[in-house]
Amino acid sequence: MTSSNAVVDVHGLEKTYGKVNERQYQALKGLNFQVASGEFVGIMGASGSGKTTLLNMLSTLDVPTKGDVIVNGHDVTKMRGNQLADFRAQEVGFIFQDFNLLESLTAEENIGLPLALKGTSSKIMDQAIHEVAETLSIADLLQKYPSELSGGQKQRVAAARAIVHHPSILMGDEPTGALDSTSARELLDLLTTINQEQHMSVLLVTHDPFSASFCQRILFIKDGLIGSEIRRGDQDRSAFYQQILNELGTFNE
Amino acid sequence: MLGKLALAGIKNRRRDYLVLLAGLTMSAAIFYMFANLATNKAFVKANGVVGQSMLIFGFGAVLLILITIVYIMYANSFLLSMRQHDYGLFMMLGAKKRRIGQLVFLETLILGAVATAIGIVLGLLMSRFLVGFLLNALGLHLAHLESFYLPAIIATAVLYVGLFILASLFNLVKLTRTTVLKLLHTDEQANQPQVKPIRQMIAGIVGIVLLAAGYWALANIKAFQIAAIPFAIVTITLGTYLLFRATLLTIIRWLRQTKWAKKHLNGFLMGQLNFRVYNYTRMLTIVSLLFAMDLGAITVGSGYHRQLPMMADSLGSYTVAIHDKTAKEQQLISKLDVAHQATYTQKRQGKTVFYNAAEFKQQPYEFNEGEMTPKYEKKTAAQMKSTDLNSLDFLNLAVLGQNNLYAPKMLSATKFARQSGKTVPVTTIRVKNIEKDRTTLKKLNQLELARFPHASELTVGNYQSYELMLAFFGGLEFMGYFLGIAFLAMLASCLMFKILSGAPGDKRRYRMLYKVGVRHNLMRNGIAKEIGILFMIPGIMGVIDVLFGLQMFKPLMPKPMSPYLGIGSTFAIFIGLYAIYYLITLALYWQIVLPQAPAQAQAEHK
Ligand SMILES: Nc1ncnc2c1ncn2[C@@H]1O[C@H](COP(=O)(O)OP(=O)(O)OP(=O)(O)O)[C@@H](O)[C@H]1O
Ligand SMILES: [Mg+2]
Repeated sequence: MTSSNAVVDVHGLEKTYGKVNERQYQALKGLNFQVASGEFVGIMGASGSGKTTLLNMLSTLDVPTKGDVIVNGHDVTKMRGNQLADFRAQEVGFIFQDFNLLESLTAEENIGLPLALKGTSSKIMDQAIHEVAETLSIADLLQKYPSELSGGQKQRVAAARAIVHHPSILMGDEPTGALDSTSARELLDLLTTINQEQHMSVLLVTHDPFSASFCQRILFIKDGLIGSEIRRGDQDRSAFYQQILNELGTFNE
Repeated sequence: MLGKLALAGIKNRRRDYLVLLAGLTMSAAIFYMFANLATNKAFVKANGVVGQSMLIFGFGAVLLILITIVYIMYANSFLLSMRQHDYGLFMMLGAKKRRIGQLVFLETLILGAVATAIGIVLGLLMSRFLVGFLLNALGLHLAHLESFYLPAIIATAVLYVGLFILASLFNLVKLTRTTVLKLLHTDEQANQPQVKPIRQMIAGIVGIVLLAAGYWALANIKAFQIAAIPFAIVTITLGTYLLFRATLLTIIRWLRQTKWAKKHLNGFLMGQLNFRVYNYTRMLTIVSLLFAMDLGAITVGSGYHRQLPMMADSLGSYTVAIHDKTAKEQQLISKLDVAHQATYTQKRQGKTVFYNAAEFKQQPYEFNEGEMTPKYEKKTAAQMKSTDLNSLDFLNLAVLGQNNLYAPKMLSATKFARQSGKTVPVTTIRVKNIEKDRTTLKKLNQLELARFPHASELTVGNYQSYELMLAFFGGLEFMGYFLGIAFLAMLASCLMFKILSGAPGDKRRYRMLYKVGVRHNLMRNGIAKEIGILFMIPGIMGVIDVLFGLQMFKPLMPKPMSPYLGIGSTFAIFIGLYAIYYLITLALYWQIVLPQAPAQAQAEHK
């Protein structure tokens, strides 16, 4: 059932924490799903259901116990050492709940980091940074250090860093978790813009129904498996929001 | 309960605590060794010129106490950096400040007491073995050296426990004054230093002027006498500090603007250095100065050592003179690397010693005519003037008794044959390198001593002078080496602790880099560069200080001796030791900071 235009293809993914002779805990129990290229997908689930675990597998920060994870045609589970680092640097853009900005670097230097790692020429780098800064309306913040930025501004800088090198997929683990509602909304609007205008696939982990309502499709994880799935289709956002709330109601029973 | 929690926190970081404890223990041990030497009056008196060595020991003691204070300060800041997050958390959870204060106080004090106790024991052992080893390597013998000396133990214990009480109080005040929020987030606060170009330029210029003034004072120590030293210490310290402040940040800023900074981790490296160097200026200044004093001490010490054989050689024309050599002595002589050897027949009669001029025709006597460097001139009996015959060197070949020498007289071969008297053949030997042949020469000397029970009847050659000078300078030289190595160990650990106390914060940053997809070896190299630069800055500055500072010793070492002679090998050894510290720091840093890649769990299952 692998579709050729899937940017993420997960098959029989299992993750067991703890070594063989220690106390073990199976967080993921055989997950299957795909994300089509250019899709905006949300992942929801109760606390402890394995959302972060899943994202860590996809972004190669952790290694699955069993199963396949294919991202943009690369079998992630077969990679080793530098391949893993390069994969993260080139194929994935990541936005973290706690921003993950380097406070010793200016916003500009933070954003340029993925390009610097690739060895991009400084001219192209400047151009790319200013382009993405324009898109995210942070052009006037570039010379500031993270400690001089608000939470919302920090997260926009982080988003800029995540997309500046045009990764094949943008992943976020509760990126709005530390933001107030206005900043959260701004960020979600930006993610939608990026998704639609640059056709970048987005995978968003959240437990907040409002954030989830920006997605096109939502996967619900329960007990380490995909419990159910809903699509936005042609509904407007508030209708979809209502549908998510209903789904969460039945899902949590 | 809180005590238990604190203990658990320590357990979690036992490796870091071991490093800290090891460092403090070493420092206490070194101090004990020094105190053992310096407070042992019998030892000091028995070795070297009393006045001068007392001065040097006193100077050394002040330096050592200073560096110990600095050292404990930095070790303490490392301790605090490890603990403040835990204690901040306890406070946030509602622990009383007073209670936390008690814990901090106790923790610091216990750590200090344990380190002091182990350090003294270690110092005892080191005095026994290490000092002996060092003396052996230098070929010295020092009298009255004992490893166990109660006043030294008391001095070490009082100083260290006192300093740790101060450190505990400091920690107590610091932790209870700081807000909980700050304690929890110290790692994340990166103050971006402000740069004010004009002020910096002025600071830079003043810094250079002060440095130049300090160096100039040292070079002209003859004119300024002892006042040059405190003057130079103050101006060089201030100058170095200002220069660091002004230039390092500017250089880093400038580098950050270049294209080079936009490649790989270079930008990150510069960012790291930018806010580290600023906080480190004082530290780097202190380290560079200590480095300089230290390198200076070793250079001067080894300079004297290296030049002793030269000084000895300049004193006379033969290394040893042997009367009526035995077969056993001949055997030893054949082992020597001889530059010149001759045997003359003496006939001793009354207060006169007669020589056969024909023998001097065959093997001319080599007089040492040089002033400071040896310069040999061959002379036959005909060429010898009465001043030559009466040179101390030549007179010494026939000793009658204490302060009593035979008067030499040259006779023609026929007259000599007819002359009556006690016939004694004397062999003069000059070796190429006294130091290299020292063991053989020593045996020869002992054999001679056994044959001539009255030492005053012995001929004194350059070898005997060399031994006298070794004993004379021994104390000085030993101090140079001892202090040099001790200081290096302590100052490099200061730097190590300062750098390591930044590790918890860096751990987060490297974890971020790991997530963003930075290759492991790129991070490794980045850390190596960052720490390498932090070690290099004071190192380079220190070397410059020493190169200028050695000027000070020029008047003390008449030409052709020079404080700069052979400093290459001293510098090499010193830099080697310093590099070892760098590598240890780096290894520890890598361990603390580098993120671990997830275990390849899948391989086991498939
Ligand atoms: N390193 C680990 N070792 C052992 N168990 C772990 C580890 N990480 C996560 N777990 C367990 O795996 C399960 C899933 O954790 P995960 O962090 O993926 O949850 P989550 O869905 O992200 O929750 P939240 O919404 O609270 O962030 C949890 O029960 C957690 O206790
Ligand atoms: Mg999570």
